[in-house]
Amino acid sequence: MRQRAQYLYIEIKKTIRMLPRMTSQAILLMVLIGAVAFCGAKSMEREPLAVSADIGIVVHEDNIMTQMALGYVENLESASKVCHFIQVSEEDGFRLLKEGRMAALIVLPEQLVEGIMDGRNPTVDVCFPKNAGLEAMLLRELTESGAGLLGVAQAQIYGAGDVAAAYGMEENLSVMESEIDSYNLAFALDRLAVYDTEKVSATGRMNVFQYYAASGFVFFLLLTGMALYPVMQEEPRAFCGQLRRQGTGSLWQSFCKWLCGLLCMGVFLGIFWAVFKMASMVMPEQAAEFVGLFKSGVGGYPAGVQIGSLCLVIISSVTLVYFLYSIPGSRTGSILLIFLLSVVMVYLSGGFVPSVFLPQAVQQAGSILPTSYLIRAFGCMFVEYGVGELGQCAAVLCGYTVLCGAAAYFLRTRRE
Amino acid sequence: MENMITVTDITSSYGRRRILKGASFTAERGQCIGIVGANGCGKSTLLSVLAGTLKPQLGEVLYYGRTAWSHGGGRMHGDREVIRSMTGYVPQENPLIPELSVYDNLRLWYPDKKQLREELEKGFLSLLGIGEFCTKQVNKLSGGMKKRVSIGIAMAGMPPVLLLDEPSAALDLVCKEDIRRYLQVYLSRKGTVVITTHEESELDLCHKLYVMKEGRLAQADNRLRGGELVKLF
Repeated sequence: MRQRAQYLYIEIKKTIRMLPRMTSQAILLMVLIGAVAFCGAKSMEREPLAVSADIGIVVHEDNIMTQMALGYVENLESASKVCHFIQVSEEDGFRLLKEGRMAALIVLPEQLVEGIMDGRNPTVDVCFPKNAGLEAMLLRELTESGAGLLGVAQAQIYGAGDVAAAYGMEENLSVMESEIDSYNLAFALDRLAVYDTEKVSATGRMNVFQYYAASGFVFFLLLTGMALYPVMQEEPRAFCGQLRRQGTGSLWQSFCKWLCGLLCMGVFLGIFWAVFKMASMVMPEQAAEFVGLFKSGVGGYPAGVQIGSLCLVIISSVTLVYFLYSIPGSRTGSILLIFLLSVVMVYLSGGFVPSVFLPQAVQQAGSILPTSYLIRAFGCMFVEYGVGELGQCAAVLCGYTVLCGAAAYFLRTRRE
Repeated sequence: MENMITVTDITSSYGRRRILKGASFTAERGQCIGIVGANGCGKSTLLSVLAGTLKPQLGEVLYYGRTAWSHGGGRMHGDREVIRSMTGYVPQENPLIPELSVYDNLRLWYPDKKQLREELEKGFLSLLGIGEFCTKQVNKLSGGMKKRVSIGIAMAGMPPVLLLDEPSAALDLVCKEDIRRYLQVYLSRKGTVVITTHEESELDLCHKLYVMKEGRLAQADNRLRGGELVKLF
């Protein structure tokens, strides 16, 4: 027992002695990863619907009534957000449409307003390019839906007029029309739900900054593993043999090394936290602005759950790194393996480019990797998942941790 | 007089390859046993068995009548406590943590600070001259210094048997002479040494000489040297 305690003491002493060197390497990595993550987040971040569709309008008669109608449509809130109306001649309009510089061309007939007023309802032609882009496709769908709705409403009004005329109830026509309007409005209002604002993001529930903070943190933890080689690398075989001779078994040796790795990781994160706290005292506004990037505005988990998931992420990452150190058994091989596997696993898990942009096969492969669960678990710091999803994530990470620890122990003892 | 070491028919394999095929020898207290043989013949394997870091398949090892390894009920039984208390082992590689100082390395094997200080001042460690470079980091030491520390580690608890696996390999003449001198002192204090070696200077220390060939030990005239000895390999 005394020998075991002494070994743990010696390993911790060695860790403390190596800490300044390992910390400086970790700081370098942090700066590098921070820069990459920030650039990634900046490149991903853009306003939704920042590209508006250009719509050409051909007006055959340029009178005040047509201009008023045109101005009314242009200033509709829903239309002005997504469309930019440009008045063009018919010839120019079709040319621009053909060149793909317009998403649609609306050709307004003569006597449009008068026709609406007197019930002639002249046809408005809406032209789309043959090989329509996304905007044109959406506009086509919307226009066809709108035309369909209008057609039904008009048929109802005309039908009601014919019924009223047939039964000599023309005096009740206005009441019938208002009832039809109210039905249609109620029907249309229910459909408003379809147009409710739903933010869809490639980064899931997290915003872009939160997402890259999570994946960057996991990437940092794994890459920092490269700096931990003095602590996690196997000791010389002769040394391990001597220890076993003296009663300090391989399990205890493995545990001590893993514990020292965990200790180092804790110290690294503690140092970064302290530096951030000091920086926020010196530059409070900038720090608040920086923190604001990661706030989601929706309710999150209680602090206990957040701390728990953070600890789980750190423990799992350290165990994964420990396992990777056990595979080649040499320093250079281990460092190379950790670097390559970290990059590949984080990439497959969507850590650099969100998974939705990756091929289906890559998405499937990435979804079972520990890094996917690590990123998701760290996401608990920002957003709230369901209890089932969180539980599943925690269970899978615990499973991976046990598996990696057992595999590392097996590999190390087999080499002895 | 009871033998300090009795090794009987030790058999050991690495996977399917049988290395030791019934090696036997005995050593009395204060004797130095030399084991020579071609590279890969099983000298280090035998020492690993004697030091308890490798489990044999068959045979028996006794230290001063106490059973270290024995075969019974179809399996080998080892008493690690006997091996630990009776032997000190110097493997070919140095069992040291390179990032720590010599003192820290020694502390692992000498948990009692006071005892370590005494050893460094007037014990066997002072004889090895470790006190002079005790504060140095291990990875800044020469090969000879490292070997001296390894012997110092093996001497923790003053075991009556010292097992040395080619202690002078890749060392300069001065270091070889130093090690030879330490072994002489140890032997004069009635310690028992088992040494595998290719060095003739170390063979001069040996009271008995064994040649290992095809997994077995054969006693040879300990005055044999050079070509005459090699003929027996």
